[in-house]
Amino acid sequence: MSTVDSALDIDRQPFESLFTPLLSSAYGAALRLVRTRPDAEDLVQEAALQAFRAYHTFQPGTNFKAWFFRILANCFISRYRRNRKERDDLALDDIEDLYLYRRTVEAGIHGSDTSPVQTLLGKLDEEQIGEAMARLPGDYRAVATLYFIEDFSYEQIAGVVGCPIGTVRSRLHRARKMLQRALWQVAVDQGLVSRLTAPEAS
Amino acid sequence: MDRYTCEQAFRDMDAYLDRELEIAETRLVLGHLGECAGCAESFRVEAKVLFAIRSRLRRVRVPPTFVRRVRARLRRAR
Repeated sequence: MSTVDSALDIDRQPFESLFTPLLSSAYGAALRLVRTRPDAEDLVQEAALQAFRAYHTFQPGTNFKAWFFRILANCFISRYRRNRKERDDLALDDIEDLYLYRRTVEAGIHGSDTSPVQTLLGKLDEEQIGEAMARLPGDYRAVATLYFIEDFSYEQIAGVVGCPIGTVRSRLHRARKMLQRALWQVAVDQGLVSRLTAPEAS
Repeated sequence: MDRYTCEQAFRDMDAYLDRELEIAETRLVLGHLGECAGCAESFRVEAKVLFAIRSRLRRVRVPPTFVRRVRARLRRAR
């Protein structure tokens, strides 16, 4: 190791001390990116190994979480592109604003005290919302995951997925709309809408 | 400047809800929402939808042995 490398390493914390606190969060994001728990664990394992091997390139003092999530997102995107047979269930056509609100009102969903859209959302659990998320095309799912799960700003997401902020903004805008449509489809597919519009529903 | 319209408010809705607007832009949106009940209701609905989605997506049960497995794999990689 050169003198310069040794000097830089004075400030470098052990990889595990930075990485371990992120593990639960990384698993949560991975689970929304891929469809199953074994795949989520596998994705985090792959990203962890890549990050560990590339740790010498991490600049101490910069944002380790953003650095690691860039690797995680890249692992996901590479897998996603490799496995194009994974079906994108949603067409990328235009989706009207307030999609879920309009569908729930049109369908005549009724609840005791809340608006139709809130009634529907109140009945959807995390598995169903996760399934709707999984129906988004990969590039959109990556942006939406960083936004919904990690609360990253547009600028941070742009840094992680490596695209301009304007692209993040437009992808996120469409991802939100696609997600509302996917949620509606999940609710229809699973019979939730039928139950909530039945005469005895409340 | 011309009057801020419902169309402009809809265009800025995502960025407003995400706290990504500049102060001057935020003032325009807030001014409009104070005057337009239709847009104010739409913003409230979207905010509730976003909140519901976000809170459910964050509910993830991490397998108890997951952290141990990843750390063991890293140790093997050394």
